[in-house]
Order: sequence, then structure tokens, then C-alpha cells
Amino acid sequence: MNGALFWQAVLVEILGYLGAVDSIVMGGVAYGFYILGRPLVAGLMCGLIFGDVKAGVLCGLAVQGVFIATMHTGGTSSTEITYASYGGIGLAMATTKDPAIAVTLAIFIGQTFGLIFYNLRMAGFSYFNHRADHDIDRFDKHALIMDQVVWPQIVTFLVRAVPIWAAIYFGRSAVEALLKVIPTEITSIITVLGGLLPALGIAMLMNMLIKNKLQLIYFLFGFAMVVFAQMSTIGLVFIAVLIAYLVYQISAKSNSDKNSATPTESAVQNDDEYQDADLF
Amino acid sequence: MANNEEIAKQKSKTTNSKRLTKKELRSIFLRYMFLPESAMSYEKMHGAAWAVSYMPLGNKYYKNDDDAYRRLLKRHSPFYNTEPQTGQLVNGIVASLEEQIGMGNTNISEEMPVDVKASLMGPLAGIGDSLVQGILIPTLLSIAMGLSKGGNPLGPLFYIVSYAIITTIVEIVSFKGGYRLGVSAVDKIVGESAKRLTNMFTVLGTIVIGGLAASTIALKTTVKIPFGSQTKPLETIIDGFFPGLLPLIAVLFTFWLISSKRMSANKVILVLTLVATVGVLIKFL
Repeated sequence: MNGALFWQAVLVEILGYLGAVDSIVMGGVAYGFYILGRPLVAGLMCGLIFGDVKAGVLCGLAVQGVFIATMHTGGTSSTEITYASYGGIGLAMATTKDPAIAVTLAIFIGQTFGLIFYNLRMAGFSYFNHRADHDIDRFDKHALIMDQVVWPQIVTFLVRAVPIWAAIYFGRSAVEALLKVIPTEITSIITVLGGLLPALGIAMLMNMLIKNKLQLIYFLFGFAMVVFAQMSTIGLVFIAVLIAYLVYQISAKSNSDKNSATPTESAVQNDDEYQDADLF
Repeated sequence: MANNEEIAKQKSKTTNSKRLTKKELRSIFLRYMFLPESAMSYEKMHGAAWAVSYMPLGNKYYKNDDDAYRRLLKRHSPFYNTEPQTGQLVNGIVASLEEQIGMGNTNISEEMPVDVKASLMGPLAGIGDSLVQGILIPTLLSIAMGLSKGGNPLGPLFYIVSYAIITTIVEIVSFKGGYRLGVSAVDKIVGESAKRLTNMFTVLGTIVIGGLAASTIALKTTVKIPFGSQTKPLETIIDGFFPGLLPLIAVLFTFWLISSKRMSANKVILVLTLVATVGVLIKFL
């Protein structure tokens, strides 16, 4: 028994639950999934827990680089980022504190166990949804809260915390043994896969945005600005805002051209334009 | 669903014709902020989390009318899914509609909140997810990662503070805006002029994720090709005329798998693993 590691693993597992997409404690996704769940933040947290902030942040930085374009859209996830963050970085901090090991472990955990647990839970929670429907039919408000919030959250906590805790508490010796015997090909495959993973998140987002294949021209423009003109992300955001605004102006103009034949309609159109300002 | 007799009954039973108080609105806001993914499943996604969020409203208006209260919970339990933070806009609109229904305004049918939710969740998910996950988070993270060089905790701290402030403002502004505009906001989101607005955000998002693809996908070939008497890495030659050619091919291939081949994300992960494995084994990657 290793007392310190036991409690360190407990703290990491609790953060692994708080930072999950389906945890409610940290204001839903707002302060949980989108803050605590990010690998960079997980690195800081694991650094504090294992008493080495610098190594923690370095591990977080390396893992975040791989998972920066992770997407979670329509319930589908390109990777299970919370298992990857706290399982991978936590386990790395418990063993070698090496950022490269953290990346390998995070990809491995996120793409295998993480996604399996996530998908099983997503499918299995239909059970609670049916119970909640039944509670509404019976008009049992207390039972509805239990079946919609309390029980599902207890299950979520167990499904997330227990594997992360076990991985850190028992995985330590396994990882150390594994690192000695693992063939270099496997490590290279995981590294290459880590480089490829952002492509999936980005493609998922493209699939939501691009309805007409001609719109790929905007995508290629953004890509070209970075690879050929060496533009930074922030610089590109400014250019993109400008182009988007021009597109908006042009479409507004072509609309009012169409409507100029019927003056009443164009007046309505103008009204709408003024009201649009409310949206911002 | 609600025939006149029922409405009359509901009206007589409703002792409360006051608007929602600030406290009750805050309670609906906070419940929707915390709970949407509490029992998330592929079948219902946010589903009945809405019913739980609208209990404060039910307690106010339908205290003595169990049947109306039950209908309120029932109509807020079907499948629903959108980006939850910007989705506070829909919550605000629905709060204003449900308030009117609760106060006995017969011009607003009980189907209206349901229709509003169904017609808004798609467009809002597209805009919300691309703004939050495609633009905001990668931008803040790339600044934070720059600050983290050498293991400096300032980077993660910057991300925590900046994202917390922005998301709090986004949630509050969305909810208040939706509540204030009420049903007129729907036209703004799905109407003709909104199509231009959606189009604008689509252009913005697509350009930025193009840049994101270039800066995040890492794919290099290790092949060396003979060049006169010595060998030269193929990657150097590719970088000479088209830097990032392999990442571009990778992302377009993945996009094609998802959009044209209709593959699920999990299947694409298997394909990518296969590509990585074969690439490494034939010593190309």
C-alpha cells in the first residue's frame, strides 16, 4: 500500500469527474468540461497534486497540443478528452513525469478505454431517460430529479472515477514495466496517430459548417494563410472577421437588389437589418 | 392538446398571473446551466433536463393544477440537443413563452415552446459549436500554450480566468437576450436575414478552422529520396513547394470519410489508426 499515491489518485479521479462533459458540478460544461477538462488545465492540477507544477504544466502543454482541435458535437466525441487528460497526465506524473510519455498514455487511454466507457454510458443512460419519462407520466417530481440528475450522476462518477483511480494506483508498476518492453514501432504509431487526431475533430466541425463543397475555398484560404503567409491564429481571426463581414454585406446588398422591384418588401427587409443589431 | 375547457379550468385554478421574479428566472437559468448533460444519452441527449429546469416555473403557476404541471414537464422531455452555453438563448425564449402560458395568455399554444426548441436547436448547435469549440477555445488555448513554455503555470491560469469570464458573459447575455426578445427572436435566428448572419458565421468559422488544421495536424513523412549522390528527406522537398501538404491531404480525406462516406467518428478513428500503423510499418511516416 502506498498512502500518498492512493490519495493522489483519489484527487485526480475527482477532477476527472468534475472535468467531464456529463458532470454537472462545475456549472455544466462551462467551468467543467471546457475548463477543468482541458489537458493544459489538467496538467496544472496534476502538477499541484503530485507536487511538481513545472513538470505538470509541461505534460499538460504536450498533451494539449495533440487535443487542441478535439470536438464534441451532437454527443459524438472525436476523443474522450477527460479520460485522456487525467488518466494520461495523472499516470505520467505518477511515473516518469515525461511529457512524451504523457502524450502516448493520453492518446492510448483517450482513444481506447475512454471512448469505450463513454459510448457504453451514452447508450446505457437511455435506461434513466425512460425512468424519467415514466416519472413524468406518474407526476412524481421527486423521482424525476432522482432519475434525471442524482442517479445518473452517481453512475457517471463511478464510471469515470474508478477506472482513472485504478489506472493511476495500479498502472504505475504496469507502465514502468511496459515502457521497458514496448517495441519502438508501437510508440511511433501512437505518436503518428496523435498528430493525425486533430484532423478528425476539424473534419467533424467542417461537416457541420460546410453544406456546399464550394465553401471548402474558405477552409483552404485559412489553411494557406497559416502555411504560406505564416499567420498566427489570432491574426487569422481578424482577417476571417473582415471577410465574413464583407460576405454579410454583399449578401445583404444582393437581397435588397432582388427586393427593389417591390418597395414594401425592401422596407421590411431594412427593418430586419436594424433589428439584427440586437443580436450582438 | 389544450382545448378551451381545459384552458378555462387552468385559468380558474391559476391564482398567479404575475410575471416570473428575478429569483425564479435566475433559478431557471442556473438549472439549465448546470443540468443539460446530467443524464445525457444518444437517445434523448439533454431531454428531460429541461423538465427539471422548468420546475421553478411549474411551482409558481401550476401549484394547484397537477395536470397542467404534468403537461409542462411532459413537453420538456423529448430529445433536445444544442451547444449548451449559447443555448441559453433558447432557454430565455422558452422562459418568456412559458411565462405567458403560465399567466394564462391563450394566444400562445402549449406546442409553441416545443416548436421553438425543435426549430432552433440545429442552427444554434452549428453556430455555437463552431464559435466555442472551433474559434474561442483554440484561440485562447494557443495564447495559453504560448505562456506555458518552460512549464510556467501562468498559461493554464490565463486560460481558466479568460474562459470563465467569457463563458459567464455569453451565458448571461444569451439568456437575457432570449427572454427579452421572446418569440420574435426566432425569426431572427431562422428567418431570411438570419440566414445571412448564419452564413457570415459559417464563413468566419470555416476560415479559422482552416488555419487550425494547418497549425495542429502534425504529419510528416520520413522517406528519404536519392538526390544526385546523396539522399534528401522527402519532407524538405514537400515543404519547399507546399508546406503542410500531408496534413491537408489528411484533413480532406477525413472530411470525405465523414461527409460523403457518412462514417461515424469511431469508425474514422479506426481508419486513422490503420493509416498510422501501415504508414509506420512501411516506414513512410
